[in-house]
Amino acid sequence: MSAPRRAPRQVPRREPRIIWTIPTRGDGRGNRSRGWDPAPSLPASVRDGRAGGPAFTPFDYLHQISRAAELGGLAGVYVPYDPHGEESLVVSGSLGRDSRFLEVVAGFPAGIATPVYAAKLSATLQRAFGGRLGWRLEVDLDERVQRTQGDFVTGADRYARAAEFLTVAKAVWHGQDVDFTGRFYEVVKGGFTGPLAGLPFPTVYLSGTSDEALALSAEHADVHVFDLAPDDELDRHVARLGERVRPALQATVHTREDEAELTGTSGLRGTYAQVADQILAYRERGFDTFFLAAEPRLEEALRIAQHVRPLLAGRA
Amino acid sequence: MTIDIWWRIGMAGDPVSLRTAHRQSRGDWAPPGPDSITPGIRDGEPDGYGLLDYLVQTARAAEGLGFHGGLLPSFPGTDDPWAVASALARETKTYKFMVAFQPGFLNPVQAARMTAGLHRASAGRVTYNIITGGGGAPQLWWGDKVAHDDRYARTSEFLDVLRGVWDGGPFDFDGRFYRVEGGGLPGPLAGLPFPEVYFSGSSPAAIEAAGRHADYYLSWLEPFEALRAKFDAVRARSAAPKFAVRVDVLARETEREAWADIERGWQHVRPEAVRAQLSRDGGDSFGVRRAVGFQPGSFTGFRDFEVQPNVFAGLALMRPGPAFGLVGSYEQVAQRLDELIDLGVDSFILAGGPHLEEAYRVAEGVLPLLRGRLGERGQAGPVTLSA
Repeated sequence: MSAPRRAPRQVPRREPRIIWTIPTRGDGRGNRSRGWDPAPSLPASVRDGRAGGPAFTPFDYLHQISRAAELGGLAGVYVPYDPHGEESLVVSGSLGRDSRFLEVVAGFPAGIATPVYAAKLSATLQRAFGGRLGWRLEVDLDERVQRTQGDFVTGADRYARAAEFLTVAKAVWHGQDVDFTGRFYEVVKGGFTGPLAGLPFPTVYLSGTSDEALALSAEHADVHVFDLAPDDELDRHVARLGERVRPALQATVHTREDEAELTGTSGLRGTYAQVADQILAYRERGFDTFFLAAEPRLEEALRIAQHVRPLLAGRA
Repeated sequence: MTIDIWWRIGMAGDPVSLRTAHRQSRGDWAPPGPDSITPGIRDGEPDGYGLLDYLVQTARAAEGLGFHGGLLPSFPGTDDPWAVASALARETKTYKFMVAFQPGFLNPVQAARMTAGLHRASAGRVTYNIITGGGGAPQLWWGDKVAHDDRYARTSEFLDVLRGVWDGGPFDFDGRFYRVEGGGLPGPLAGLPFPEVYFSGSSPAAIEAAGRHADYYLSWLEPFEALRAKFDAVRARSAAPKFAVRVDVLARETEREAWADIERGWQHVRPEAVRAQLSRDGGDSFGVRRAVGFQPGSFTGFRDFEVQPNVFAGLALMRPGPAFGLVGSYEQVAQRLDELIDLGVDSFILAGGPHLEEAYRVAEGVLPLLRGRLGERGQAGPVTLSA
């Protein structure tokens, strides 16, 4: 925290919001991935309690994690886009319906659908869980992976497309008789009606530190998510977002009761009190939302909820 | 021959771990604090969730991992297992409900009706844990003044009546404790599969009654040779029932980590409490008196309560519940469970706090190392008892 302080942003005094990352391609200790591979088999002589019952699915475990986040009072869950993992909008729909408070942030790139279709699908999700959906639009993905997904827009064009995508999605969400002709999309007399109209648009999360990324956020994001970086670098980027866009931080977290129990080195790391102090120090710099992850996601969500969160709430 | 493994549920909530001074920070049995969940605190206010929401999560963890079901205990300081089971029935798929209850507190015809209803709600997922009561102050709290051996006579009659009305009747009964004329469950409630009976009690009267009614004779964990003698006494009085043991488990990757958790928790145990436990009078409970007798005569530290390898007798000082549990590495705990299977155990009711996280730990860490019986035993070589 040694970097020169900028003119203070409006510092939020509320409790930092923790958004917990759902593992869409497995989780847990050992060589089997919970929520991806089937659960470990029992020794042959142990009667399997699941026998003869309705099917268990990998989603059962994903729900265990989001329930832990919900019951532990965390602010939300993030379902990342992963072409090799579970589909994030489907997972989001399932988890959102199974909670009362969680914001459910679905990660996806513009290439997966037209903006009208993505907005339409999201309007139904907003109806299903009372307006708690967030969009985390992924722009800077590996271009080889994008091609495997049928998406051939590359380079800076991806930012131009993302801007159009958000423009069109917001236009049909809020408007009637929407006509739009752009480089990537065209709509004639679009716009939602009936119960699809009038819902809150999903909170828009964007990320990236390139000029294009920060410019896109300044225009379209509600929240801009940064990875951990030196403070002066973060301050410099945050300054380019403008006052309207809230900065968020994304990190893995490793926390234990005692320093002697700590292993790993990257991300937010320390005792419960140390990690809480780090989060509060970032809040003083204007970050109010924290996308966190640690494995196993279930146990660590409960650990954060019961050991770290009380230290944040008490000092909000 | 198969083994059933159950995972208990924390009917008065759960502590965050054994390491901390005992406090149920999950569920609404303790006043909510900033670290509470169910209710969680959102914007300074309880969020409306309660213990049942946490129990749903524990039950879903257990069933998804393949546990047979769970024991729903019943004490003055717990929620009621019949009510909880009826709610959990709709929120789970295969979780079987081992409902703990004391026969004296319920009319047996009503118990039959409730069981049939719960069976219908859950597609036959009800099992009984029949408790006949530990006596003393808790027994009076429930309003039960019947003396120890008479309670077993009452339990016997209770189960006779329950079975009598189960298939539809008409059933007449005129006993010391209960009387029924023309009883019987109506219509579709009649004739469902009768729940398996887990029967507890360490006294001669209990073992006598178990001979008539038990599918499983259920004991707390005790030193293994004492268990062996107890099982032999049961076998001598009844036609080969099955045996079940209720075992608390604290298993970690290494033995050192497991005992480190105990050492932490032990810091919150007051020496007076240890002395009180060592000289405890078990009321009219034979089980408690037996447990007291197995404790060390004197102590200098928590390891004195390890009365045989990995068998720890100090748990009751760290949280409410039985004194004995297994503490050790995944491998050691699996080996001790294998030894219990060799003693004749057919069913385990395992437990560990917090029950949600520990369900995953035991299912992923310990159970894959359990060799169990039959073919697996042959490959793994003979298991020697270290008791």
